[in-house]
Amino acid sequence: MRIGKIHIILISISIFCCIGFTMIFNMPNSPTKVRLKTTQKTYEAGDNIIIDFERDTTLAAQLFLKSSYGSTMITSSTGEFVVPDYFSRKKGRLDYYLVQEGECLYQGVIDIEAKSKTKIQLETYVGPPSIVAGGEDYTMHVVVPSDIYDNPIADSTKIWLKHQFLGLEKEYEEVTKDLISWKNIFSYSKKGKLLISSQIAEIHSKEFTVEIYPSLAQNFKIYSFREHEYADGNQVTTFTSDVIKDSFGNIVSDGTMVNFVIKNSEGSLLTTQGTTVNGIVTAKLLHPDHADSWEISAFIDGIAESEILEITFDGVLDDFEVSFDMYQREIVVGPLTSFMGQIIPDGAIVKLEIYTNNELIETKVKTSFEGRVKFVLEEGFYPDGEYDFRIKSMGIAKWFKNRVLQ
Amino acid sequence: MNSTTNKYLITALLIGVIFHGTSIFFTIEYTYDALIHLFFGNHYANSWFEPWSYSWYTGFTVMGYPPLVHQSIGLLSYIGGLKFGLFSVAIIAIILFITGVYRYALVLTSNRTVAGYTAILAVFSSTFIETLHIFGQLPSIVGISVLMHSLPEIYLWIKVGKLKYLINALSLISVTVTSHHVTPIFGMVFFIFPLIGMIIMDAARDKAGSYKEIRLLHFIKTFFGLLRRIITFGFGSLILIIFCILPYWINTKNNPITQVPIPHGSRDNFLEVTSSGLVFFLIPWGVLLFLLPYIWYRFFSKRYLFFGLSFTLLTILGTGGTTPIPRAILGDNAFNILTLDRFTLWASLMALPIFGEFAYRFVEGDLRDKIKRRYGNLLHRILGGLLGSAIVLMTFFTMCLGYFRPLQPAQIKMLPILNFLKQDQHDHWRYLPLGFGDQMAWLSAQTDAMTVDGNYHSARRLPELTTRAVERLENSKFRGVEGIGSLQQFLTVPEKYNLKYVFSNDKFYDPILYFCGWQRLRQLENGIMVWEKLNVPPLSNILPKDNVPLFQKLMWGLIPVLTVLIAFIINIQLIWIHALKSKFKAFPVYFKYGIEYVGFKKSVIRASFLWAIAMCGIFAFGIYLLYVKNVTQIRPENVITAYYDALDFKEFQRAYSYLHPGSNKSLDQFMLEVSVTDGLLSSYAKLDKLTIEVLKQTDTSAKTKVSGNWITPLEKIDKAFYHELKKEKGKWYVLPLDYDLDIPPDQLFSENIPTYYNHGRRRITSEQTHHEDVLKQPVLEVLSARIINNEDQYYIVGELQNVDNVPSDVVVSGTLYNDDNIELASYNVKHQIKHKLMPKETTSFRMNFEGIAWKNIDDQKPTTFDPEQFTAVDFDGQPAKFNLQCAGNVATVDLYKRVVINDLTVKNTGIQGVLFNSGLREVTIPQLIISYYDSERKLIWVASKYLPEGIRPQRKLFFEYDFEDLSCAIMIDESMENIFVNGLANEEISKKMVPERRHDQKQSQLIPIDGKGFKYVKIEINNYVGASN
Repeated sequence: MRIGKIHIILISISIFCCIGFTMIFNMPNSPTKVRLKTTQKTYEAGDNIIIDFERDTTLAAQLFLKSSYGSTMITSSTGEFVVPDYFSRKKGRLDYYLVQEGECLYQGVIDIEAKSKTKIQLETYVGPPSIVAGGEDYTMHVVVPSDIYDNPIADSTKIWLKHQFLGLEKEYEEVTKDLISWKNIFSYSKKGKLLISSQIAEIHSKEFTVEIYPSLAQNFKIYSFREHEYADGNQVTTFTSDVIKDSFGNIVSDGTMVNFVIKNSEGSLLTTQGTTVNGIVTAKLLHPDHADSWEISAFIDGIAESEILEITFDGVLDDFEVSFDMYQREIVVGPLTSFMGQIIPDGAIVKLEIYTNNELIETKVKTSFEGRVKFVLEEGFYPDGEYDFRIKSMGIAKWFKNRVLQ
Repeated sequence: MNSTTNKYLITALLIGVIFHGTSIFFTIEYTYDALIHLFFGNHYANSWFEPWSYSWYTGFTVMGYPPLVHQSIGLLSYIGGLKFGLFSVAIIAIILFITGVYRYALVLTSNRTVAGYTAILAVFSSTFIETLHIFGQLPSIVGISVLMHSLPEIYLWIKVGKLKYLINALSLISVTVTSHHVTPIFGMVFFIFPLIGMIIMDAARDKAGSYKEIRLLHFIKTFFGLLRRIITFGFGSLILIIFCILPYWINTKNNPITQVPIPHGSRDNFLEVTSSGLVFFLIPWGVLLFLLPYIWYRFFSKRYLFFGLSFTLLTILGTGGTTPIPRAILGDNAFNILTLDRFTLWASLMALPIFGEFAYRFVEGDLRDKIKRRYGNLLHRILGGLLGSAIVLMTFFTMCLGYFRPLQPAQIKMLPILNFLKQDQHDHWRYLPLGFGDQMAWLSAQTDAMTVDGNYHSARRLPELTTRAVERLENSKFRGVEGIGSLQQFLTVPEKYNLKYVFSNDKFYDPILYFCGWQRLRQLENGIMVWEKLNVPPLSNILPKDNVPLFQKLMWGLIPVLTVLIAFIINIQLIWIHALKSKFKAFPVYFKYGIEYVGFKKSVIRASFLWAIAMCGIFAFGIYLLYVKNVTQIRPENVITAYYDALDFKEFQRAYSYLHPGSNKSLDQFMLEVSVTDGLLSSYAKLDKLTIEVLKQTDTSAKTKVSGNWITPLEKIDKAFYHELKKEKGKWYVLPLDYDLDIPPDQLFSENIPTYYNHGRRRITSEQTHHEDVLKQPVLEVLSARIINNEDQYYIVGELQNVDNVPSDVVVSGTLYNDDNIELASYNVKHQIKHKLMPKETTSFRMNFEGIAWKNIDDQKPTTFDPEQFTAVDFDGQPAKFNLQCAGNVATVDLYKRVVINDLTVKNTGIQGVLFNSGLREVTIPQLIISYYDSERKLIWVASKYLPEGIRPQRKLFFEYDFEDLSCAIMIDESMENIFVNGLANEEISKKMVPERRHDQKQSQLIPIDGKGFKYVKIEINNYVGASN
């Protein structure tokens, strides 16, 4: 196609028209007159808020809303702007700007207050849920009264904070400040359950529980109980304490760990431990299998301790029989007898030390069965010759020297 | 084409689908791989285009495995669920395999009857049975089957040159590559190259007149004649291999496999590790082993020459580490990455047509005639019977292998676990299954919850896993130090991975869980024990992922299925159209190259006979060796070994049979004595090494010292036992050891102890726990803490007390800083602590700073197992300060504190003592925690010792402990400034909770010792109670 004059003219005309219309549409508006018809400045949450302007409604305008919960833009064809409920239900300051084509025509503020004539809701927090008796430790009770839309209600609202402890019921009147009301509840000197609630007007909160635990334990006494005083290695000695209490007379909490340290006559430290039930600790230890004396002290680590308790154990036997067979290869120890002459319960330890040329070559350890222990020295392992034996049981040691094995 | 149906093929298909199709329902879920494919299938079913899966390894991409089979499972799962998808794909794979073998045999032998025979034999081929029913390698089977389908098309393209064949061939190659990436790459070398060689031979024969007259020159000329077609095909398939799974290649390039290779049985020396030899050599070869001379004879005929070469190479590569050749051929790197069993698979599949040919000749061909003529009818029947029974036996054995030697733990009912994960937002944390086998994949497929573990080891991402040859944490006990070491790290610092729940299906792991501070929650209905760790934060809502470009996602999601559609349309549909048109069609060209089956060579028969007899001899010898190994009582060492072996495997009756008959111990008494022993050694240990030293020996008696090394989840135990032995009637016997005759004081006794219950959530609601139901964290007080440098490693040691009124679980984590306050390392206290404290109870603790073991490839790895060992962190500077964060949480379980020290003998080198269990519960593993103090009674070291035996109530246990040498221990810092408990400063707590602490009490609680570098010690006892009744 050839480009003729006619084309050039047509194109020029159309470009001209375009420019012309654009200029017309871009012509600045004459300043629009806007007047706020709505006079109310303060609302209650949940009210139907309408912001009405007197203006030229042929031109599209938008209302920009801004509150602490967020911002939004709403439109209206009539000039009446209805504030959506997610704004009108929130307490606080609501800024609004009437905007037309990027230009702010009007700016205003509305205050929304918490709804006063509805049921008030109480939001309550209590913590920590457990504290220690004695009046030093405390728990904090925080109440946030709010309206049905969850707006905190106005400051200086009266609130009753209540708690109950043992025979005691207390009630404090507080006023809300900075939206909340709070109180520190210090522990009493007794342990127990502290029940907490709050009230505003006719509205009651639910019940909250704070456990008051006993304070640190005081020194205590310990006792021992045993079936007999013999060191037979076969009965249990039980250590107990008196009721362990804190300085306010509370029994320490169940499960408190008490360590018993027992110093025996050799100076070794044996340990046993127990946990308290109703303040009394029970710990157990087996009787020694040789005459011994024990010094017992008990500790709640770093916090309390007992007086020292001393007990002694008498040996059950002074001597025991040992018989050798004719080849000296079978050694029978026993009968091992106990304090009444009865056969010692099975399991008494007998040690046989075998020496040649004053040198320990082996230690055999066996436990008694029906009062006796039999050692067999096999030919293959112990060639014929002279041996020394030392036999030890229940704290008694006996030497048998120069025995000739055949 | 011949319009008569091949009755052999139909038979093979029928038998194949019925036999395999029904038996997969009983086998495939117990295989190694099938459930992994199921898991992947589930991933595609849920998010087809999203390659990132959060389920395993803190997130990984599924672009690490060609997707076709998984996507097919995913697609079919829309019809009838995941397992339906799996079984359908398996049945499709069976059909593809049988028809694939048939078509491959047809190309190779040009005889429909022989190909029919091959198809039937393929159904019962032990290698196929093993791959499907034991390994469950569906993609591998689909890949090789489709590759075999493509062989006739490739033949026709190169021979005839019609474009149609090229398209058919390439379409099939693309299906192969999208189902299994390794198959087409190696298949090119091992199947297609020999095929091309054979085509050239055939073409050369056309020119030369017969195979005999083909000379090298003919061959080369023909080769150049066909070169254009070969190159077209070669390039075409290369492009397809790259294009069809392009995202896979990109992913491989971006995330190269830098992991430490995982040991695989196929790389073993089969003569040394006979179990690997069985699974990776004997079973796949099966009956073919007896026919090797015939197979080689046929493969090295001129036409099949290249197949012969390929077959030989495959056979050698399949022998793994038995000979050094595979490693030399493949190179160290490839040898350690590839699993070599696939070579044996391909070799045995390659030989199938020759086997079919043999069978045909034996059943109705010239071989039958020859044998009948020369040796009579009877021998032929006997041989037939033998061959038939060999096949039946092999099929039986292979199918039932999983029954005789279960590859997987017994099937676990997943529903209770799934319910547990769904309840109470338990899936907001990660979980870890232990002892699940491959069923962990099935669990993952069913739940949205995530695990730190996973079952596709190429996709492992955490360095704790990739730097070790640990396939899965789940079966870490089979991986010795590396496995348990990895697991311990995950269990010690679970916060790092948001790991809160462990599902344990194996008692072996219980002690390690307990001593790392985990607690039992409850046993589910299916017997799985749930362990939980307190103080672990839940997962964030948004988790990191590696994104890939959209085009890759689209390619990955669309191409694989598209290749199947295209292949289906152009291959199958055309065949149908042809069939419907029933127009006469000529045989494909390869049909004219078949050989006449006449005149079976005598020499081959002889060689085969000799070979078969030799094979029988070898088998008999192997069985004999196995028998001889089990003669136990000819020497003292043998009977001791056998005795300990029997005890290790808990075969108590066998162990009893080695006891001296004159020892007056009845079997009942022996069993009773065994049953009352519990503890680390008898319940959680595996015998690793036994050294037997004969101290004295006469003709009829002997005395031995037996030093055993046992591996337990906690530590290696070295223990020596002395045994006396007697010989009677030519057999050695062990004299029974004395057992403890001690009688406890009381028959029946009672005890008052506090027990606890925590409601958790008091109101039954699905909402988050109400704030008033949340207990206060128990207050702990750190009494002392300091950095200690001992033998060039840094530790934090300290003491802490539960100063609250409720029992507490304790988590202690520490961080080391240098002088410039730059963080050097951070870790948690592992097992040198009592993790559960009663009110006012104190514990000492020691924190090791563990790094990730063997981070550098060159690091020397230990050759033996030592669970105690850990790799210390490499510090960038000198630690000078530390920070300690302790957290208490209310504990209600594992509070047994009744083991006491009843007797103690103190020397400067160590202590001997007697523990007494004064309470009501049986302690399975007592742990001694020994604190060392200096002359100012400052804590300088904490050590621990597990006692190998348990203690029943009112029983005693002797123990010995040797002190450590602490002359090198240096105190670095003991500032208590940066110690926090539950986020609060320790100093404040100290002031408030116990303002007048009595430090003097220590004086009477510490045992004075003149040790190397220390002056006092204290012993605490921590008890693991196994039975959770």
